[in-house]
Amino acid sequence: MTSLTGDRPSHRAGAGPEIRRAAPGKGRPGVGWAVPGLLFFGLFALLPMAGVVYLSLTSWNGITAPQFTGWHNWSRFLGDHQMVQSTLVTGVLLVGNIAVQAPISILLGVWSAGRQRNRAVLSAIFFLPLLLSTAATAVMWRQLLDPNFGLPSKMSWLFLGDQNMLGTQAGAIVCLIAVTSWQFIPFHTLLYQGAARNVPATLYQAAELDGAGRVRQFWSITLPQLRNTVVTSTTFMVVGGLTAFDVVLLLTNGGPGTDTAILPFQMYQTAFVTYDYGYASAVATFLLLLATGASLLLVRLTGYHKMNSTLEGL
Amino acid sequence: MMNNMSRRQVLAALAGGAAVMATTAGCGFKSAGASSSSPDGDVSYWTQVDPTNTVQQAAISAFNKTAKGQVTLSEIASTGYLSKIQTAMGSSAMPGLFFNWGGGSLSEYVKAGKLVELDASLKSHFLASPLQAGIVDGKFVGLPCRGTQPVFLYYNKSLFAQAGVQPPATYDDLLNLVQVFKKRGVIPFAIAGTSANSWTELMWIEYLVDRLAGPDLFKSIAGGDWSGWKDPSILQAAQMVEELVAAGAFGTTFGSVNYGAGGTSTLFATGRAAMQLMGSWDYATLQGISADFTANDLGYVAFPAIGGGKGDPKNVSGNPTNYLTMTTAAARTTATDFLQTVFSDSYVLGLVKMGEVPVTTNTKSLLSQSSDPAYSNFLYDLVADAPSFTQSWDQALGSTLATPMLTEIQKLFNGQDSPAQFVSNVLAIQS
Amino acid sequence: MRTRRPYNQRPNYFSGVATLVWLLIIGVPLYALISAALQTQSSYAQEGPLSLPTHLTFSNVTSVIQSGFVGYIGNTILVSAASVALVLAMCVPISYAVVRGTGWITRGVFRIFLLGLAIPAQAVIIPLFLIINQLGLYDTLWGVILPTAAFSMPVSVLVISGGMREISGELYEAMALDGASPRKVLMDMVVPLSRSSIATAGVFAALQAWNGFLFPLIMTQSDSTKLTTLGLYNFVSTYSDDVPALLAAVLMSAVPILVVYLFARRALVAGLMGAGGK
Repeated sequence: MTSLTGDRPSHRAGAGPEIRRAAPGKGRPGVGWAVPGLLFFGLFALLPMAGVVYLSLTSWNGITAPQFTGWHNWSRFLGDHQMVQSTLVTGVLLVGNIAVQAPISILLGVWSAGRQRNRAVLSAIFFLPLLLSTAATAVMWRQLLDPNFGLPSKMSWLFLGDQNMLGTQAGAIVCLIAVTSWQFIPFHTLLYQGAARNVPATLYQAAELDGAGRVRQFWSITLPQLRNTVVTSTTFMVVGGLTAFDVVLLLTNGGPGTDTAILPFQMYQTAFVTYDYGYASAVATFLLLLATGASLLLVRLTGYHKMNSTLEGL
Repeated sequence: MMNNMSRRQVLAALAGGAAVMATTAGCGFKSAGASSSSPDGDVSYWTQVDPTNTVQQAAISAFNKTAKGQVTLSEIASTGYLSKIQTAMGSSAMPGLFFNWGGGSLSEYVKAGKLVELDASLKSHFLASPLQAGIVDGKFVGLPCRGTQPVFLYYNKSLFAQAGVQPPATYDDLLNLVQVFKKRGVIPFAIAGTSANSWTELMWIEYLVDRLAGPDLFKSIAGGDWSGWKDPSILQAAQMVEELVAAGAFGTTFGSVNYGAGGTSTLFATGRAAMQLMGSWDYATLQGISADFTANDLGYVAFPAIGGGKGDPKNVSGNPTNYLTMTTAAARTTATDFLQTVFSDSYVLGLVKMGEVPVTTNTKSLLSQSSDPAYSNFLYDLVADAPSFTQSWDQALGSTLATPMLTEIQKLFNGQDSPAQFVSNVLAIQS
Repeated sequence: MRTRRPYNQRPNYFSGVATLVWLLIIGVPLYALISAALQTQSSYAQEGPLSLPTHLTFSNVTSVIQSGFVGYIGNTILVSAASVALVLAMCVPISYAVVRGTGWITRGVFRIFLLGLAIPAQAVIIPLFLIINQLGLYDTLWGVILPTAAFSMPVSVLVISGGMREISGELYEAMALDGASPRKVLMDMVVPLSRSSIATAGVFAALQAWNGFLFPLIMTQSDSTKLTTLGLYNFVSTYSDDVPALLAAVLMSAVPILVVYLFARRALVAGLMGAGGK
C-alpha cells in the first residue's frame, strides 16, 4: 500500500468541509466499458469453445463438410485406453512439476530476497533461463540430452549410467519435468522473491528475541506469509501444465510409444497429424472440462471470486 | 462483429504504430493463391524446405520471364509440411501446385475432388516404376519432380577394413557383423528411436517384410486389405527385429537418439557406428558433417537377401520420387505449362548437380555431370534394375493410418511391444 | 543472559552449497549452449558440448542470420508489441468496469474472465483456425496477434482489477464529487494509481506472445510471417545436418529479451514480481 500511495496523483484533496453527495452511480463506469473487450474475448475464446463442442459431435477430415454423427466420438472416447493413459500422464506431469518447482522456487525466492551483494549477482544469473522461449529451451535440451553427443555422454555419473533418457517412460517424464522446471523455476522464484521482501521485518525481529532459529522462522513466519503467493504460483503452474505441449512436441513427441502423450499433445496429433478433427474436438472438449474444473477449484481455493486479496503493496 | 473486429484492428494499429499496420496488412492481402480465376492467372507452388529449392526457384524464374501468369514458390518446413497441406486443402489458402510423396497421402484429396487429373502424354518422359505412386485411385495426379530416394545400407569402409570384413550379402552375414562390431566397441547400426524419428525403424520392417514375403503383401495392405498384417511373415519380421535389438545391433541408447546431425548421421560419420539403413538423402547430411568421410570412407550396398524368403533381393523400398500435383485452385493454363519444366534438361541437370537422381528418361545421359558420379550411378542402377520399388509405408498409407503404425513400431523396437503384441496392436488400428 | 550473534551473520552452509548446485544446474547447460553455438560442426561432433571451444567461429551465427532469422525476431517483436497494446487497451477499461461498475452484469463479466483463466488454447484451436480463416487472416501476423491477445486477457483482467481494487473508495468519492466523468476518473486517477499492476499485465502479455508456439504453428505458414519459436521448430528439420547452427539460432532468439533485460532489468523484474503479489 505504501508504494501505491506514493504514486498518488495531485487530485484536489477533499472538497473542503462542505459536504456534497454525489448521485449514486454517478461517475461510475457503465457496463459498456467492458463490451469491446468482452466481444473480442467472445469471438476468439468463447465462440471457439462452442465450436469445439459442436465439432465433437461430427466426423470431419478438414476437407469435406463435417458430418453430424451424434455421440459417436464420445462413445469412442470413453472406450479409448489411450485417453486414460494421456489423462494420467497429464496428471503425473502436473503434480511432478508442482512438486519439483514449488519447493525449489520458495527456497530460492526467500534466499534471493536477501539484500546481500552476492545474492543479487547470483539472482541475475539464475534469471537467465527465462530469456529463452519454451521452444528454444526444448530445442536446446533436445540436443543436450542426446546420449552420444550431449551431456549424458560427458556426465554419466549424473545420469546414473543410463544415458537412454528418452527411451523409457520414467526417463522421458523425468526429462520433461526437469526441462520445464529449468525454464520456469526462475519465474516462480521471482514471484516468491517479491513476496518475501514484503514480509514485515518486525516479525523476524520478534522471533529473534524469542530465540527461534532459522528453520523455525522459515516455517512459522516466512511460509505462512507467502500463502497467497503459493496460491498464485500454483495457479500459474496448473494453467501452464494443462496447456503445455510445445515441450512435449519438441522433446519427446509423445514417446516412447505414447508414454508421454499428454492430452493437449494427443489432441494436436489427432487433429493436425491424423486429420480426425471430430474426434480431436471430443478430446479438446474433455480438456476444456478438465480445465474449467481446475479453474473453478482454484477460484474456490483462492477466493478470487471474492477478491479478498491481502495485497501489501507492490 | 466484423465491424467491431476491424475497429479493434485499427485501434491496435494506431497503438502499435503504423509500421505494424503496413507490414501485416501487406501480408494479409497476398496470402491466398486461390483467388486466381482466369486460366492464365498466377499459381502458388508449395514445396518443402530443402537444398533443391534453389533448382525449383531457378525453373520458376525462367518460366516467369516468358509466361503471362506467374508462379510463386512457398517454402514450408518439412516438419508439419503435410499438415499444412491438409489444412490448406479445406481452406481459401489452397495452393495451385504442391510437392508431395504420392500414394495414400493424396487419396483423400482425390476422393474430395480437389485434384486435377494430368494429361497421360506426360508419362512418356519418365521411367515406369516411379510413376506408379503418382497414380492414385486410378487417376494420374502426381508428376515425378525430384530425384529417386531408395533406402539402402551405408557402411564405413575403413571400419570394415580394420575388422577385415565385407559388407553383408545375406542376412546371416549381417547378424555376424553385429557380433564383430559389438566386440570392437562400435555400434553396428545407427538408428533413431525417438518418437518423431521412428520412420528410421520402419525402414527395417519394410525391408525385412519385402525380403521375406515379397512386395505384394504390402501392396494389398496399402490397397485396403488391413488383414494382411496377419501374414506370418509380418510376425517373423517383428521377431527378427526383437532378435536384432537383443543382440545389440542398434546399441543400447538408440531410444534417445534423433535422426540427422547430432544424432544418427553424426554417429555414423564419426565412426562410432559401422552402418546405417537410410535413404539416399542422408548423403548430403553426411557431407555436411564431414566431407572427408563421404569422399574416402563411405560405402553403400543394397539390403541383403534373406535365405528362404520369397522377395527378390533386387527389390528396393523408399521414396520412388516426389511428385508435383495440381489442384482445382490452380490457374489451369499457367500450371499446365509450368509442368513441362520438370523434365527439361536444365531442371534435371540442376538436380543432378545437387546429387539427386531424377527419374526422367533424360537422366542417365546427364549423370556424368554429378558431383559424385559413382554414387549417382549406384542409385540409378539400384532403381532401374529393381523389379519392384515399394513406396515407404508411411507415405503409401497416409498419416491417419501411418501415425499409429509408427507408434507401434517404436514400441516394438523399445521392447514395449512383443512381436505378437505388435501384430495385434497394428491390426487393431483399423478394425 | 547469553548473547547471540545476530541472525544475519551466522554462516548458512546449507544455502551456500544449495546455491552452488543450482548455479551449476543453470550454468552448465547455458555454457554448453554458448560453447556449441560457437564451435564448428566437426569439433562439436568430436569434443562434445562441454569442451572449451578450440576453434571459435561465428560462422554459425552468420549462417543463421542469412537464413532470415532476424526477420523472424522482427515479426516476434511486432506481434508482442501489438498484442500488449491490444490487451492493455481492452483490459484496463474492463477492469475499471469490473471494479467500479455496479450490478450483476459487471460481476458476470468478471466471472467470465475467471473461468477463461484456464481455457487451454489447444482446446479451441480447431474452431479458432476456422474463424481466422473466415476473417481472411490465415498466414498473417494478425492471425497470431488476435488470439494471442485474447488468451492473455483473463490473467491481465485479474491482475489489473486486483491493482485497481487497492484504490480506496474515498478517492473515487472525491473525484465523483468533483463531477469527473468516468473517463476522467480512469485517466487521471485509476491508471496512474494502478500503474504497477498494468505493467505486470503488460509484461505477462509480452511473455505470452514471445513464448507463443501453438498459434504461429497453426495460423501461419510462409517465411514472411514466421516467428522465432516456429523458426526454431523449423530449424530442427532444416538444420538436421548442423547442430551448432541450430544452437546458434536458439541463442539468437534470446537476444532481444536479453537487451530488454540489460537495459530495463528493474522494470522487467518488478513487473514479473508483481504478478505474485496477489
